[in-house]
Amino acid sequence: MIVLLGVNHKTAPLAVREKIFAGCEEGKDLFSLLLSLKGVQEILYISTCNRIEIIASIEEEKTVRSLFDFLAGNGNLTQAEAAKCLYNYQDKEAVRHIFRVASSLDSLVMGETQILGQVKEAYRRALERNATGTVLNRLMHRAFRTAKRVRSETAIAVNPVSVSFAAVELAKKIFGTLAGRKILLIGAGEMAELTGTHLISSGAEDIIVANRSQSQAVQLAEKFHGEAVSLDALSEKLIEADIVISSTDAPDYIVTADLIRKIHHQRKNRLLFLIDIAVPRDIDPAVDSIDNVYLYNIDNLQDIVDENMNIRKKEALKAEAIVEEEIMRYANWLKELEVVPTIVSLRTKAEEITQAEMEKAASWMQKFDQEEQEKIGILVNSIVNKILHTPVSVLKEESSEVGSTDIVATVRQLFRLDE
Amino acid sequence: MSLISLEMILFKIAFALCTLSVAGYLLSLLIKKVALAKISTWVLAIAFGFLTVYLLLAVISSTGFHNLGPRAFFSFCALSASGVYLALQFKTKTRLLGAFISPFILFFMIAAAGQETGKSLLPEGLRSWLTTAHLTLTIVGEVLFVLASCAGAMFIIQNGLLKHKKLSSMSRLLPSLGDLDKINHICLLWGFPVLTVGIIAGAVFAGFTWERGWPADPKIIWTFSAWIIYGFLLHQRLAIGWKGFRMAVVSCAVFILFLLSYVGVRFCFTTLHDFI
Repeated sequence: MIVLLGVNHKTAPLAVREKIFAGCEEGKDLFSLLLSLKGVQEILYISTCNRIEIIASIEEEKTVRSLFDFLAGNGNLTQAEAAKCLYNYQDKEAVRHIFRVASSLDSLVMGETQILGQVKEAYRRALERNATGTVLNRLMHRAFRTAKRVRSETAIAVNPVSVSFAAVELAKKIFGTLAGRKILLIGAGEMAELTGTHLISSGAEDIIVANRSQSQAVQLAEKFHGEAVSLDALSEKLIEADIVISSTDAPDYIVTADLIRKIHHQRKNRLLFLIDIAVPRDIDPAVDSIDNVYLYNIDNLQDIVDENMNIRKKEALKAEAIVEEEIMRYANWLKELEVVPTIVSLRTKAEEITQAEMEKAASWMQKFDQEEQEKIGILVNSIVNKILHTPVSVLKEESSEVGSTDIVATVRQLFRLDE
Repeated sequence: MSLISLEMILFKIAFALCTLSVAGYLLSLLIKKVALAKISTWVLAIAFGFLTVYLLLAVISSTGFHNLGPRAFFSFCALSASGVYLALQFKTKTRLLGAFISPFILFFMIAAAGQETGKSLLPEGLRSWLTTAHLTLTIVGEVLFVLASCAGAMFIIQNGLLKHKKLSSMSRLLPSLGDLDKINHICLLWGFPVLTVGIIAGAVFAGFTWERGWPADPKIIWTFSAWIIYGFLLHQRLAIGWKGFRMAVVSCAVFILFLLSYVGVRFCFTTLHDFI
């Protein structure tokens, strides 16, 4: 059976997650320890900032307790604490959980793209240690496939859900490409810096930092290989800029509508995107009435983010349907896997009988030459294979149906496979 | 199979493909999926291919470009519009522009389908390589102007959405303001010289043939005023720095004005250019 135990951001506070993380990572050979637990056949360990999870293929249910104690023990958790924080999913539920995790449906920010990479990395580590086998290998490949389908068939990861990425998307809607665009940061705030970083990584080239404190401006400008100026040079720099991000703590408007009107002609009416993330606002809202000037304040950006979040929630419903579909496929495969030992026994028995009968016939077959003997051998094998073909196919087909254990038992009894 | 029936088959295939691509484009606007507009662009490109072969065969069968019939003439209008649009797709990835320009292409195709075959478009006295150049270049020039105006209309819509602080699915679907302004710029920049050469070709022909100079023909006045306003827009764009919203609004307004006056001229006056 497949089990999944762990904690995540929903069930355990950071302090608890940290304790378990520290306990698990503390110079131990985690895979050997887990594989040495009685009944554990295959194991996978996922650890990210939001979750610590163990997925295992085990022989019997008793092993779940050992795994539970292992995690609780590593985190120095009391039984009560552990019972509250640790979740434990089995079989179909465990499959659903790992599929949802890989597809980012269980993430703090639904649809984020990092988690798939982290799960892949966890799987790579387990592979290196030969900790996974048939069941978990297939499970993980299915999980990656599910994640890929969710990414390509739904819009769950399409629209940005952070203010800074929403600003980048808007900039792209205004300018098309950001290549060669000049950014002007007014104020050296953290949020402005983050948005600037995203814009640069999306192709914007030059950055100018204008700040009341020259030293802070220089520091930030150096980080972006940009230019630092004082606030006095603002109107001059506004002429050059395409995207302006303002985040000072000035009580009045720094960029007024009159200023923009005055320089607009010098800017040759080029498109201008103004982002005002300061509270109180730095940019006069009246600038928005000027042609080719687009002003967004923090509330406008937040509204876009909220709207995008709602879209993601709607898309998540589609994603859940994909997950269910993939669970069905995996469950079918797992069922098929259960009949494999019976099929193998059946074939072995048939081969043994053939072998024995051929040996018995060896004496009278000597009158035939080598070629004829080989032909008889091929004929016998072919008859056996044809007879076995139907029961094997039926076994495989029926294995995905409910009550497949009955047919397995019947086949074993019919052919006396357990003797 | 005779050349004429092969022409007919090619024309019908091109017509069907054009209709399909218009439907695809409009549906992509409706369901807000740019992927459908991409497919429609491919369908239009195939229609362009069929239309090109059809026109080549038409030129061969009518022994020369200036002997072409009215069906081939309107097909040529459709070919220019789709050709210019497809060429622009190499410069900017603005598939949705097709939703605005393709109805015009279909309109030309419908006009072409309604014409008789076999008859020559140009009256006896006007058949010359100069009139052919005049017609071809003025059509291409005006098509570029139509495209500039379509991009302008899209700019106005996108501008409205962005000014209302809504990054809606429609806004995501439409091309960026920068790309739309670029299309307007390219179309004016290319359209004006093409139209200029086209008008000169017509004027030179008129000078040789009629000697009396230019007659006060409504369609000549119409084309000439289009040329002047075209030039004015280009001047404002290059020298004065009109960009973005203002350019989009003026392009659209001028286009609507021209469309209305063309309809007026076409149906209320008898002109030397009655064949179009």
